[in-house]
Amino acid sequence: MNKNKTENTLLKRDKWKYGVIIPVLTVVIFLIIWELMVRVGVIPQRYLPKPSELGNVFIDKLSNPRPEDSTLPSNILSSLQVSLSGFLVAVVLGIPLGWFIGWYKGINRFVRPIFEIIRPIPPIAWIPLTILLLGIGFRAKVFIIFFSAFVPCVINSYTGIKLTNITLINVAKTCGASYFQILTKVGIPSSLPMVFAGIRIALGASWASLVAAEMLAADSGLGFMIMMGRQFTRPDLIVLGMVVIGLIGALFAFILSKLEKKMVRWRSIK
Amino acid sequence: MSVENRQVKLKIENINKTYQVKKSYFTAVKNVSLEVYKNEFLVILGPGLCGKTVLLNMIAGIEQPTNGKVYLDGEKIRGTHKSIGMVFQKLGLLPWKTVMENTEIGPKLAGVKKSERQKKAKNFLDMVGLTGFEKSYPHQLSGGMKQRVGIARAYTNNPDILILDEPFGQLDAQTRYSMQDEILRIWQMQKKTIIFVTNNIEEAIYLGDRIILLGKCPAEIKKIYDISLSRPRNVMDSGFLELRKMISSNMDLAV
Amino acid sequence: MEKIKKRFISEIFYSILSLSSIILLILGWMYLASKRPELFPSPQETWDRLILFLEKPIRRIPLYSHVLDSLRRVGIAVLLACGFGIVLGTALGWSRLVKSTFGTIFELIRPIPPIAWVPLLTIWFGIGEFPKVLLVFIGTFAIVVVNTAAGVKMVEPLSLAVGKIFQANEFQMLKEIVLPASLPAIFAGIRTALGVGWAIVLAAEMLGAVSGTGFLITKGMSIGDTALIFICMFIIGIIGALLSVLASFIERRICPWKTDR
Repeated sequence: MNKNKTENTLLKRDKWKYGVIIPVLTVVIFLIIWELMVRVGVIPQRYLPKPSELGNVFIDKLSNPRPEDSTLPSNILSSLQVSLSGFLVAVVLGIPLGWFIGWYKGINRFVRPIFEIIRPIPPIAWIPLTILLLGIGFRAKVFIIFFSAFVPCVINSYTGIKLTNITLINVAKTCGASYFQILTKVGIPSSLPMVFAGIRIALGASWASLVAAEMLAADSGLGFMIMMGRQFTRPDLIVLGMVVIGLIGALFAFILSKLEKKMVRWRSIK
Repeated sequence: MSVENRQVKLKIENINKTYQVKKSYFTAVKNVSLEVYKNEFLVILGPGLCGKTVLLNMIAGIEQPTNGKVYLDGEKIRGTHKSIGMVFQKLGLLPWKTVMENTEIGPKLAGVKKSERQKKAKNFLDMVGLTGFEKSYPHQLSGGMKQRVGIARAYTNNPDILILDEPFGQLDAQTRYSMQDEILRIWQMQKKTIIFVTNNIEEAIYLGDRIILLGKCPAEIKKIYDISLSRPRNVMDSGFLELRKMISSNMDLAV
Repeated sequence: MEKIKKRFISEIFYSILSLSSIILLILGWMYLASKRPELFPSPQETWDRLILFLEKPIRRIPLYSHVLDSLRRVGIAVLLACGFGIVLGTALGWSRLVKSTFGTIFELIRPIPPIAWVPLLTIWFGIGEFPKVLLVFIGTFAIVVVNTAAGVKMVEPLSLAVGKIFQANEFQMLKEIVLPASLPAIFAGIRTALGVGWAIVLAAEMLGAVSGTGFLITKGMSIGDTALIFICMFIIGIIGALLSVLASFIERRICPWKTDR
């Protein structure tokens, strides 16, 4: 047993070393190198801000609407509003559509051709048409986000329902369930893991295309902020925007994975 | 093999394996000591899930024992060794390699020239009856054929000791019988020390010079039998049946 | 016989459904075009616009060479992304040290959508060819890395045991066992990377370029030429679909052992 114990503490030490110490050190070294490069002048200040400046810029931008006429919080709020609206509409419409396409052959044959025409067009390619039709307001952006989130929602819920175990369907059939009952009682629950994966992809995609939409056509939002940062050659503003965009994206992914874990537990109890 | 001629090839001394699962300890192999003689056909018989695979992996050096030692020809070994080959229960054929590439992998990794190693591999593929399948991929073969590739692969590396971990466990009964005869035939042609693991009593008596009976988890040696029946053995033979009865009364049932 | 007949009839019914949906789509398009002719060109007008474009290229660059420009940018970037991405991904999946150093930095940068790099890249490198390729590279590199690392992590322990028993050294282990075992995962990554790369190059070209499909579609927007936008969207869609077909073709060529159970 003694030997076991040492093996065990070794394992723990390794975990500590590779999971905490080395990563933290790496980040610190990375930031120091970055700081030094800018300070010494290897990279000029007009190309890249010093990491030590970012904190000040962040605090300043919390209340300072210049140069693009809105503060950081209002930019974040505006971006969140747009992306979440588009995303939610896509989820509400896309997931049931995927279920029905996967379950009913008639709907499949009717919707599929249109869907297959639309699918390969990247959401970004919709931006020009949308701007011409809807202008550059809230509706236009929501529409673009909707497109980017809609496709993964449909594909994943379709795939999920297609993967329903045929034995389960047959069991339900022999119990005298109607086709619609089997869909709600068997097909939909068993498609949920795939649906969740789809939602995660959709959220990531909608956040990315939100940035694109705001950069191409907007008067507020984080994408607009970094675009203005470029216009006024304010790299500090750009990097701040990138950090915030990245953080929010990571936060979304984190929340969703937590939610998904909860769902999985519920599934295993059932 | 007469008892006087026995020469110890592999010696396992007090080998243990304990895993830690969160806060509790789980012992898979407990104090196993055994000697394997040169050129014998040793069968290790035990119920399913009794730590047989762990024991084998430790002998082969794939896993490290928690404590205990393994000696080969009197020398202590650690980790895998060129003279110990293994045929895996779940085949372990590499799906991206053809039958030939799978078979020649041992010499290839050892840096043997292509023509030479392919000649060797071809030789053993012919021996297991896979002539003409050199360019096939594993997924194109039947279960029995895949296991033949596994055997040819182990032989091509020319080990002194060959460990077979329930090699026929996943085959259907018919194929299993013919593979048993096959492995005996190969063993008689190419004398090697064989350690054959199974959970099937009949298979054990049919094949082995000696049988080591393991108890239920943790794996622990319960009894050792010398089988003196002459080959080819007949499963309906009275001596065979008697042995079978004796061993089954001593064998723990798997849960 | 009766059954076959029945099936035949239902097949016809379903085909009519498919056909009618496309007809409906075109009818809807024509309806919109007749209602808002200044915004929505009819199918006929779109076709005429395409012919006109083929006769009178925009910026003296023929249509196909706009498309080729975009494809070239994607191609170079994806090739580079594969080269570097497979190396980093393998290292990430194989070595704990690499994972806890480079992996940490990688994970910190990854959540930033590639498009958000555009302002910084334009400050650094202007709007030439290099920043565009670099942008596509940033977006596709991450995908290749993540897929490769996942593939390397998921190599069957049994395959590793085979390498061990035949005494493979670390390099042989990677070359003979780990990399081929992860090839399908790597290819899934490359396929996704091609699709994503095709979308990113559009964004890059829309935000400043003098050639490429992304440039064309923004041109259509700025001069209010909806027909041109339609043409571009069609072409973009078709190329996107073709890229995906190409990727699966190459995959089947390189991984012949992979069967679609």
